[in-house]
Amino acid sequence: MGILSIVNACSHLQNASRARFGLTSIPSTKYNLRLVLAMHRAGLVSSVTRGGPRPPEEPSGTPSEADEAVTSANVATRRLWVGLKYWNNEPVLRKMTPVSKPSRLVTATVPELEKVARGFHIGQVKGLTLGETLFLSTDRGILEVREALARKTGGLVLCRVS
Amino acid sequence: MSIARPAARRLVCLSAAAAPGAAAAPATRAPCQQAAVFAHQFHSSPQLSARRRPRFANVRAADMGLMDDKQIDQFTKEKFPKYTPEEIEHLRTKYSPEQIAALEAGEAAIDPRDLTVQGRLRVDPYTMPYIDDFAETQPIIDKRARNKEAPDPHARFMNMDEFTEDLIRWADKFQTGEVTGTLKTLADFVPEQYKKTPEGQWPGDVREAAHKSFQLYLEAEVSKQAGKDADDTAGPTDADILQYILERSAMTDGNRTTDTSLAHGLPSKVPGVAGLYKNAIDPEDKGLDDIGVYQDLKRRTGLSVAEILGLQSKKIVHRFVANQTRLGKVRKASVMFVVGNGNGWLGIGEAKSTEPGIAALKARLMAIRTMQPIRRYENRTIYGSVTSKVSGTVVKMEARPPGFGLRVPHRIFEMCRAAGIYDLAARIPRSRNPMNTVKAAYWALTHQPDPDEIAMGRGKKLVDVRKVYYGGDVY
Repeated sequence: MGILSIVNACSHLQNASRARFGLTSIPSTKYNLRLVLAMHRAGLVSSVTRGGPRPPEEPSGTPSEADEAVTSANVATRRLWVGLKYWNNEPVLRKMTPVSKPSRLVTATVPELEKVARGFHIGQVKGLTLGETLFLSTDRGILEVREALARKTGGLVLCRVS
Repeated sequence: MSIARPAARRLVCLSAAAAPGAAAAPATRAPCQQAAVFAHQFHSSPQLSARRRPRFANVRAADMGLMDDKQIDQFTKEKFPKYTPEEIEHLRTKYSPEQIAALEAGEAAIDPRDLTVQGRLRVDPYTMPYIDDFAETQPIIDKRARNKEAPDPHARFMNMDEFTEDLIRWADKFQTGEVTGTLKTLADFVPEQYKKTPEGQWPGDVREAAHKSFQLYLEAEVSKQAGKDADDTAGPTDADILQYILERSAMTDGNRTTDTSLAHGLPSKVPGVAGLYKNAIDPEDKGLDDIGVYQDLKRRTGLSVAEILGLQSKKIVHRFVANQTRLGKVRKASVMFVVGNGNGWLGIGEAKSTEPGIAALKARLMAIRTMQPIRRYENRTIYGSVTSKVSGTVVKMEARPPGFGLRVPHRIFEMCRAAGIYDLAARIPRSRNPMNTVKAAYWALTHQPDPDEIAMGRGKKLVDVRKVYYGGDVY
């Protein structure tokens, strides 16, 4: 599935946030997990919990005793349970748009990212505005654009969130 | 000029003809004659051999004896005699000394002989249609005479007693015979010496005779009143009563008629009313709002009238709308105003009225009522970029660095000026409907993203580096 699961996760998280859901789930893949963890570091989601088809009892991020072990039989039903944030009756995650898609992967180098982070358009990537952030898939894992610039690494532009 | 003899040829002919003649008769031809002949050469009409005489000879007036001086003088004396001393005396009773002097000057200026010789009654088509002796005014030609006095400035409405008196005075005009109130009394039927004394002191025969004659008088009066026919009364007719209602003055001016329909203005302090009506205007306004336009606004907003008048306002949309009814189109002016204090407050107001001026006032008051604070970054631009959409109109605004200026469409420019925004870029990529543009821009200005709110929502610490470096002195 690769990038497609990211695109689907973007749409789902945006829809769930606009529907004012407190907890939602996306398919449990390594790609999705790294993305939501990066979003968690950026403060866009409140919690990330690995679980099954049912919502976890305590979405704290640590697997509880009641959670069943992941086996090859039940691995297809595993979900990532993502807690959504709201502030002043407004969702913290307002907009989440995929940049790369399976038919067009968009990459950005460090000099390009520096300009994009300052608000200038580079190629396919529009400049960041107030409150916007960009998530990249790099060889150091999935990073926010400012983390990537701190590590001086470019990569595949996944999505922009505001 | 004949085409067969062009101008140049004529000049040659003339000089050739003049050369031998100059020697033959040098003094007989005057220069003006030469010029006349010369000028005549250029006329195309044939030259006459002699002065044209009328075919039918006229008879001179003098030959007919009409211009005889004696006859002229006689005619003049008969028809245009001088004023006799009696007539002048009579005129003095009619005219003022200045008018008499003017009359005499006019008489002296015109010789009566001229009237005889030259004076004619005109019969040409342009004759004035009257012989004006100025004895009467002709409304079409003359100015309206205003010879009545001005209305009585001291006239007032009659009170009850004066009105009653006036009514009686009017009714007295129609009375005939004696009214009941003026009937004779018993004292009128006694000899002169008893008139002053009371009835008890009269002698018996005198009293008896008086009673008898008084009784006869009363019977005669009663029969006279009874014998009168109801239609025969000389009382006021319906027309008189209508005239009384419509034309009789209700003021104490004695029914005076004037040339003007304008009444005197009321005095500044109307007696009897002074002090009864209080001026509802607040003395705190210092006379800025004598009509009371801003009183309601003052109460709603808490602003003083001076502050309200100090607000910047601008009419940014003005159009005419019409409501189509079965009676036709009812047209109104629809006005949109933007009002701001130039320091972060902005309001828009929309109003309609059949009078454009009233619509503008209403819109302005509404705009002041709807003023809201506009968040400004560094008191000069907005936060981030905002996009808003009203109907098909999309307005995109973006913050810009210091000194960028207002590179925005003109209506948004006026809004920015009123709100105190100095650096901004804005675009209207789609429909540019004026009303929707203003509404969308207002929505965008009031819905800017707040970086502090975003940071708190994400649990991050946010610092504006422009306020950190150089001690925050960055512009």
